[in-house]
Amino acid sequence: MATQSDSSPQIASLNEVPPPPGWMHSRELWRAFFREDRFFLVLSVFIGVFSGLAVVCFRYAIDWSRLYLLGTGVVLSPTRVLLAPTLAGLVIAVLVIHFFPRARGSGVNQTKAALYIYNGYIPFRTAIGKFITAALAIGSGHSLGPEDPSLQIGACLASALGRRMRLSRERMRLIAPVGAAAGLAAAFNAPISAVLFVIEEVIGRWTAGILGSVVLSAVSGVVVMRWFLGSEPLFRIPAVELRRPSELIAYAILGVVGGLASVVFAGGIAALRPRCKALPRWTQYFQPAIAGLLIGIIAMLGAPQVMGAGYEYIDQAMHGQFTWEFLAILAGLKILATLLSFVSGTPGGMFAPTLFIGAMLGAAVGGAEHYLLPHLTISPGTYALVGMGVLFAGFLRVPMTSVFMVLEVSGNYSIIVPVIVANTFAYVISRGLQPLAIFDLLTRQDGLDLPSMEEQREEDILHVEDAMQPVQGPVLDAGLSLDQALRTLDHSEIEHLLVRMRPNSWGVVTKEQVQQAAAAGNTSANVGSLLSEQTVPYLHPDLPLEVALRYVDRWPLIPVVSRANFGQLEGVISQADVLRRYREFGEG
Amino acid sequence: MLALLAALAVACFLLVTGLSRAYQDQRQSLGSRWFSRGEADLNAGRYDAAVTDFRASLLYSRENYAYQLNLAEALIGIKHLGEASAYLLNLWDRQPDDGLVNLELARIAVQQGKNDQAIRYYHDAVYAVWPRDQEFQRRTARLELIELLLRLNQAADAQSELIALEANAGDNPELQTQIGDFFARAGDFDHALAAYNTALRADKHNQAALAGAGQSAFNLQRYSLAQHDLQAALALNPKDTQSAERLKTAELVLQMDPYRRQISALDRNRLVMQAFATAGQRLQACSTPASALPLPATANADLNKDWAALKPRITARDLLRDPDLMDSAMNLVFRIERSTAGSCGTPSGPDLALLLISKLHEGNS
Repeated sequence: MATQSDSSPQIASLNEVPPPPGWMHSRELWRAFFREDRFFLVLSVFIGVFSGLAVVCFRYAIDWSRLYLLGTGVVLSPTRVLLAPTLAGLVIAVLVIHFFPRARGSGVNQTKAALYIYNGYIPFRTAIGKFITAALAIGSGHSLGPEDPSLQIGACLASALGRRMRLSRERMRLIAPVGAAAGLAAAFNAPISAVLFVIEEVIGRWTAGILGSVVLSAVSGVVVMRWFLGSEPLFRIPAVELRRPSELIAYAILGVVGGLASVVFAGGIAALRPRCKALPRWTQYFQPAIAGLLIGIIAMLGAPQVMGAGYEYIDQAMHGQFTWEFLAILAGLKILATLLSFVSGTPGGMFAPTLFIGAMLGAAVGGAEHYLLPHLTISPGTYALVGMGVLFAGFLRVPMTSVFMVLEVSGNYSIIVPVIVANTFAYVISRGLQPLAIFDLLTRQDGLDLPSMEEQREEDILHVEDAMQPVQGPVLDAGLSLDQALRTLDHSEIEHLLVRMRPNSWGVVTKEQVQQAAAAGNTSANVGSLLSEQTVPYLHPDLPLEVALRYVDRWPLIPVVSRANFGQLEGVISQADVLRRYREFGEG
Repeated sequence: MLALLAALAVACFLLVTGLSRAYQDQRQSLGSRWFSRGEADLNAGRYDAAVTDFRASLLYSRENYAYQLNLAEALIGIKHLGEASAYLLNLWDRQPDDGLVNLELARIAVQQGKNDQAIRYYHDAVYAVWPRDQEFQRRTARLELIELLLRLNQAADAQSELIALEANAGDNPELQTQIGDFFARAGDFDHALAAYNTALRADKHNQAALAGAGQSAFNLQRYSLAQHDLQAALALNPKDTQSAERLKTAELVLQMDPYRRQISALDRNRLVMQAFATAGQRLQACSTPASALPLPATANADLNKDWAALKPRITARDLLRDPDLMDSAMNLVFRIERSTAGSCGTPSGPDLALLLISKLHEGNS
C-alpha cells in the first residue's frame, strides 16, 4: 500500500520544486493538513457536487425524453404509447450490446463489484452509457426508475475522480460507494436514506472515516440538486396520525400483503431473468423493444400509470384519487411491467417501481380495510406511505433504510411505529419465502460472488464465551512463595497455570518453571518473580471470538473475566479452544 | 489539483445553470399553455377537461399556487372533494390567509358535514386577504357562514355575524333585504325590520323588502304597520300567498281586539261577545276525541265550567252594566285560546287572531 503522503498529488508537485527555506514550515503544514484521509473528505464534497450536477442533467434528460417521445399532456396518444417504448427499446438494445455493455441492469451490484472486485474501478464510459440509455428508457415509458442509475453514475464519476487523484487502493475501493451515496441522495432528495442504503447494502460496515465521506458527498449532492430542482418532496405528503394502537393491526395486515407481493416480484425476476439471458444472442436486440411494446399495450388498455417512474401517480394515490380495486390492479400491473423492463436488460432502476408498487398496494389495502371496517379512520395516504416502506423492506431487503426512507420522505415521526410494524412483517415473510435477497440474487445470476450484506447482518457471530473453558487446576497468587506453590502443584496435572497479580492483572507460569526455580534453592522467592514483565491480557465473555485470535498465539492461556468484576475469573481460553470452536462452527 | 477541481466544478455549474434555464423556460411555457386551456375549460364548465389540463400544467410546475388552486376548483366541479381538499390544504399550509382557499375549504367541509371545520375556514375567509373585490368576497364568505350558522341553529352567532355584515352593507336594497331575511330567520325581528326599511328607503317598490318588513312587523306585534306593508307587498305581487295569509291575520287582530282605542262601548261589547263565542267553539272542538290532542280532562272540565258559568252573563246589557265583566270574559277567552293552542296545535283564523291578541295584552292582564 502506498503511503498516504506519497500518494497525494499536491505533495508530489511540491516535491518537484525545491521550496525556499521560509516555505518549509508551511509545506509541512500543508502536508499535515492534506493527509490522504482528510483529502478524501474534501474530495467527497467534490464528488457530491459533480454527482449532483450529473443527476440534475439526468433528470433533465429523462424529462426531455418523455416530452418528445410521449408528449406534453397527461392523456397520452395511443400511437406514441405503443411506439415510443418499442422504438426506444430497439435503440437501447443496440447501445447496450455494442457500446455500453456495463450499463445493463440497475447499477447497485456494479457499484458493489467495484468495491469488492475491481478496486473501485468503474469505466467512465459506463456513466455515459447509463445516462443515455436509462434516460431514454425511463423517458419513453419503460417501467423503471432513475435512482439506481443515478447511484451508478455517481459511483462512476467518483471512480474517475479517484483515479485522476491517484488515490491509494484502499481509498479507491471506498470511493465508488461515496459517489453512489451522492448520486442516490440527489436522485431521491433524501440524504439520510441514501447514506443508510449505501452503508446497509453496498459497504456493509460503519466506520467514522467512511461515514464522514459518504455523508459529505450525499449532502453535497442533495444541495446541488436542490439548487437546480428545488426542495419539493417527490410527492405531497398527507397528514399522518395514529389515533388508536389497534390500528397497528391494519398495518400488520399491510405488512403481510406487502411481504407476499415482494416474494412474487422477486420470484418473477429470479425465474424470468435467467431465461431471458439464456435466449439466443440475436433476441437481445428485441427484448427491450418487446418489453416496451407490452408495456405500451398495458398503458393503452387503461393503465398508463405504469409507464415511467410514476411519481405523479403515487401522489394521486396518496390523496385518494383511485378506488382500492384500481389501486390493487395498478400494483399488479406495475409488477408485471417492471418485470418485463428489468428482465429484458433495459437499463434503469428498481427503486421507483418499488415505491410505486408499495404505494398502490398500501393504498389498496387501506381502501379495502376501510371498505370492510368503515370505522377505521386512517387515510389512504398513510397506507400508501407505509406501503412504500413495506416494499422497500420486503423486496429490496434493506430494513433500516426502509424505515428511515419513509420517515425522511414524510417528515412525520408519528408514522415510525406503523412503518416498523408493517416492515417487520414484510421482511420476515419475504426472508422466509425467498431466502436470497434481490441484489444477491442478481449478483449470482451475473456469475459474481459478492458478499451478501443481508447474510452478514444475519450471520451468527461466535463469542469468547462460546470457546472458553472452565478453569482447571489452581490459580496461583503472585505473592505465593515457590515452596507453597510447589505444594499446591503436587496435586495438579496442569502444565500452564494462571497467576493473579494485584489489583487486576494476570500472568502465566509453567509447572516446570516453578519446579526449576525451587530446585535452584530459591524456595523463599514468590511466584511473581517468575513472571515476565509483560502481563497476560484478559478477555470478556461477550467479545467476538476473533478478538481472542489476536492473543492466543502469544500466550498459552488467556483469562476470561467478568466485566462487572475484573477479579472474577469466568474461564480461560487457548489457541486450541479457539480453533476447535471455529472448526465446529464451520462444520455446522 | 484542488483548485483545478474547483474550477471544473464552477465551469460545470455554469453549464448546468444554462441548461437549467432552458429547461425551466420550456417547462414554464408548457405549464402556462396547459393552464390557459384549463382556465378556458373551467370557465366553460367543462370540469373533466379542466382537471386534465390543470394536471398537465402541474407536471411542469408542481408547486405552482395558481395551478393547484384551479385544479382544486375543477376537482370540486367533478365532486372529487377528497383530492380537492388535499390540494387546498397544501395551499393553506403555504398561505393560510388566502381567502379563496379558506372559502373553498369551508365549502368542502360543509359538504362533508364537518361543520366546526367549515365555520373555522369561513371565519378565516371573512378576515382573509382577497386579491380582488375584497369587500364583496368577504361579504360572500360571511353570508355563507351565516347561512350555515342558521342551519345549525346557532342563532346568537349568526346574529353577531349579521350585525357585523350590516355595518358594512351600505344601502344596497338586495343585500339589505337578504340581511333582513337572515335576521328574521335568526328571530331578531327588530334588526330585520330595520334592514328591510333601509332597503325600502333605497327602493320603496322592493316587494321582497315590503313583504319582509310586513312579516317582521307582524312578529313584533305591530299589526297596523304589518297591515300597511303587507298590503303594499300584495299590491306589487298578488300571488304572494304567505303575505296574503299574514295580512288576513293582521287584519283580524286589528278588527277583533276589544282593547283597541277609539271604538264605542257597543262595538267593544260586541267584540267581547264574538270572542267569547269563538273561544267556546274552539274549546268544544278541542274537547272532542277527533281533535289531535284533546285537552286533559281536568283542564277541559275547568275551562268548560268557567265558560258555562260566565256565558249567561256575557250579554250586551251585563257588559254595559259591569265594566269588569269584559276583563273577566276576555281573560277566559285568552286562557282557552292558549290552552287549546298548546294541546290542539296553532289555530287559524279568528282563533289565531284571539291568540295573538292575548299575547299582545299579556302584560296588561
